[in-house]
Amino acid sequence: MSVLILSATLFALGLYGVLTRRDFVGVLASIEVLIGAPLLLLVGLGAAFGGGAGIEAVGLLVIVLAAAEAAVGLALVVAVAGRTRTTRVEELTEVRG
Amino acid sequence: MTQTVVLWLLGALAVAGAVTVVTTREVMRLALGLGVFLLALAGLFALFGFGFLAVAEVFVYVGGVLILLLFAIMLVHRATPGEPSLTSRHDPFAAVACAALGILFVIVVRPVFPAASGVATSSVDDMGALLLGDMLPHFELVGVLLLAALVAVISITGGEGE
Repeated sequence: MSVLILSATLFALGLYGVLTRRDFVGVLASIEVLIGAPLLLLVGLGAAFGGGAGIEAVGLLVIVLAAAEAAVGLALVVAVAGRTRTTRVEELTEVRG
Repeated sequence: MTQTVVLWLLGALAVAGAVTVVTTREVMRLALGLGVFLLALAGLFALFGFGFLAVAEVFVYVGGVLILLLFAIMLVHRATPGEPSLTSRHDPFAAVACAALGILFVIVVRPVFPAASGVATSSVDDMGALLLGDMLPHFELVGVLLLAALVAVISITGGEGE
């Protein structure tokens, strides 16, 4: 039960970071927190149900997905920062309708 | 008993790291906070009996993603003396919305959560057999996804001018 509360706290913190950070790097780091929280819940639930290899395999796949997401996100940050000379989210209004 | 104490200690460490990531104004403290958060998460995985997952978390996140983040910071961040390098637009409504979602998270998952906490018994042999047996399609798909991510990163950052 405590792991559920912990996971929800981390989820809320990560979401708050994504919503309020003004900087790409801050948003990306908050997304990492946001991905970590459900992973913790998966592991806690798996342990509570006495799960074994299946939980670990799914957790491994989630870690790989998050790593791919982080790599693409950071590549976008570097590309956008190189082109627009800014790393602040609100200064990128080029595609605003 | 010991497990509960260690769980709360590692949990406090993870929350402290996450709070640093969300609120700090110095970019290097953000990286350090993320490192603390990820290491505490790996410790929690080990505590629940998923040793291999803990090692994978440390290797992939702390050894890979965090280093990548530091490289990105070094490449793109221009520090202006006297100004905070990171800013946030703190908003009470966002805080309330996030807290409400967190509470909803607890309410939704709570019914399926068993009262007793346990430690998993997982062996790397079993996991390897599962990943290369029943879960082979998933494993292959993740490999394809990683390749796609690699190609995407190259084309996003170095695809100009050719």
